[in-house]
Amino acid sequence: MVRLYLANDTSSRAAGAGRLADAWSERPEIQLIRTSSRGAFFLEPMVERDMLNGREAWFNVSPNDLPRIVAGVGGTPVAEIPFLQQQTRFTFANFGITEPLAIDEYQTGGGLKGLAAAQGLSPEAIVEELRLSRLRGRGGAAFPVWKKWQVAQQARAEQKYVVANADEGDAGTYCDRMIMEGDPFRLIEGMLICARAIGATRGFIYCRYEYPAAAQTMRFAIQKAREADLLDCDDDPFDLEVVVGAGSYVCGEETALLESLEGRRGVVLAKPPYPAESGLYGKPTVVSNVLTFATIPNILANGGAWHASLGTEGSCGTMALQLGGRVKQPGLVEVPFGLTLRDVLDRFGGGMIPGSRFKAVQVGGPLGSLFPESQLDMPICYDAFAKAGAILGHGGIVVYDDQTDMVELARHFMAFTADESCGKCTPCRVGSVRGREILERIQRGQGTAEDLILLADLGETMKATSLCALGGRAPYPVLTAMEHFPDEFRNKLSAFSRQQ
Amino acid sequence: MRTQYGTRLAEALESCRPVPPDKPNILKTLLAVQAGLGYVPTSDLPQIAQVLGVTDAQVAGVLSYYSDLRTQPSSRHLIRVCRGESCTANHGLRVLLAIQDHVCVAVGGSTQAERFTVEQMSCAGNCAVSPTVIVDDEMYGRVVPSQVAALLERYE
Ligand SMILES: Cc1cc2nc3c(=O)[nH]c(=O)nc-3n(C[C@H](O)[C@H](O)[C@H](O)COP(=O)(O)O)c2cc1C
Ligand code: SF4
Ligand code: FES
Repeated sequence: MVRLYLANDTSSRAAGAGRLADAWSERPEIQLIRTSSRGAFFLEPMVERDMLNGREAWFNVSPNDLPRIVAGVGGTPVAEIPFLQQQTRFTFANFGITEPLAIDEYQTGGGLKGLAAAQGLSPEAIVEELRLSRLRGRGGAAFPVWKKWQVAQQARAEQKYVVANADEGDAGTYCDRMIMEGDPFRLIEGMLICARAIGATRGFIYCRYEYPAAAQTMRFAIQKAREADLLDCDDDPFDLEVVVGAGSYVCGEETALLESLEGRRGVVLAKPPYPAESGLYGKPTVVSNVLTFATIPNILANGGAWHASLGTEGSCGTMALQLGGRVKQPGLVEVPFGLTLRDVLDRFGGGMIPGSRFKAVQVGGPLGSLFPESQLDMPICYDAFAKAGAILGHGGIVVYDDQTDMVELARHFMAFTADESCGKCTPCRVGSVRGREILERIQRGQGTAEDLILLADLGETMKATSLCALGGRAPYPVLTAMEHFPDEFRNKLSAFSRQQ
Repeated sequence: MRTQYGTRLAEALESCRPVPPDKPNILKTLLAVQAGLGYVPTSDLPQIAQVLGVTDAQVAGVLSYYSDLRTQPSSRHLIRVCRGESCTANHGLRVLLAIQDHVCVAVGGSTQAERFTVEQMSCAGNCAVSPTVIVDDEMYGRVVPSQVAALLERYE
């Protein structure tokens, strides 16, 4: 009997993995092992098997490819797939190899070493290790992780909380989903290390409604971790629970997330107080992104200095970039910080889908800036992006081709903000609606040159005066579209206005 | 029918009845009601509020805030089309139009005989296999307009 490996992640199934599993369910000559996905989604559904020199893979498989695979004909050694070979995988090292819910496989792949190391350290020493690592949060704000943990650690309270932000609202991002579906114990391990460092006995994973498979896998994993006696914090039981949201982008913002976790409307609150001082039910709470937590086990296992040695001066470690849009090879790319956008798009993205031409790339989700061809030499690190007024956000990279209508795209972003605004502050609540109206006016051919000035003005006001980054960053994709593709906006103005 | 409905509602509410020191959680309760009934009937707001010990207005406020909480039952099959940026770049709009044409209903509407409800959704996390369409619990990736008819045929 031949053992075949097939990913069971949401995207692999959407690409047809489920169809293969159904078609082959009665075949006695094979045993199908359902793994996580390696993230080379353009090759999914991909089937692997063990050969003399390690795993070989068959790409974009359809049900009647089975005889070929069983005969061992036409496979490619996984180690020779350029998309994967050129990556530096630490957080995603086990993807495609292990079964997500097998604790023993997680451990064989190096799992739980970080937790063991943390258990040999004092809470202060854990935070010190994180300080040395120079890890910054991967959810978007890129705040140093150790500072948050230190505040929560030093706070005096009878109850503290650890919360994983699994809201992953940025369109174009999916690495949190991959972690929860593919390596759930890594998230749990990261949260347990945090619990020990700050002295928390309760944790929540706030998972978005759109990720039912991730929520379910996490629930199973928590159950398994409990059965394996892993869920404790310094000999006290650590209670961990998955909570599902209900479709609100702004609930990814940490204060809104905590409101939502308490069951209320997910409205943003003014900071301070920061959640680390006064968070869930008014208690010290560390809210970190799923990818941030998943990065921590390796840091404790290998030491903070190891992590600080990867990447660039201000952006240490690796980043999980998520390629989408019109590239030929969309998928997950874990690389040290510092490659340029062009490197990533060419070497990993493999260029554009045949027949389409590059127009712009958006980095950092719906609040991220657009970059034209001329800016692709931008290095991927927090400092360079901050200097350019852009954000790396959660690592989403979406490529648009020459068929993209920039005015419509700008309208789409303003409409998104208007839909998702929590309504707390005027610049965002009203500004986004006015912005959308101006763009609709331009689309109808009724816009004037003043409208463009008004839109730019509105954008600057929203940037300067919004309470949170939804209103504060929403103008960026719109303004960068206007900056780099001014003719598209001008050509849509009313005929009268264009003559002037 | 009504009794089954009543039982499901009661079960959902019972599972969320706050046990001190835990505080009532409105969102969790509404999601439980939706899981049991398929939607949250506004006529049941007073009962929900009473079990939780909060005001009707607080429950209504939460219900109206979250886009995934529905106050109407959907048809037998719910079609959701992703409106995220990767799907948009990969011509998800054309797929949406093809679906609307095929089932003859606009976004937010339900077809006659209650076969399909069509909605748009935020990014489904399937951006690398986009554009994305979800029918009930099944996700489809790399959907092109010409596949729409065959894809929907499976849902009676
Ligand atoms: C509108 C808005 C949406 C956000 N969405 C998310 C999200 O989906 N996931 C996330 O981890 N952080 C999100 N954040 C950032 C969080 O507020 C917070 O900074 C983060 O969860 C902290 O975790 P980190 O330090 O690990 O990055 C969002 C922020 C804003 C303003
Ligand atoms: S900027 Fe928008 S989302 Fe953020 S607090 Fe203000 S209204 Fe709410
Ligand atoms: S943009 Fe559609 S799945 Fe992410």
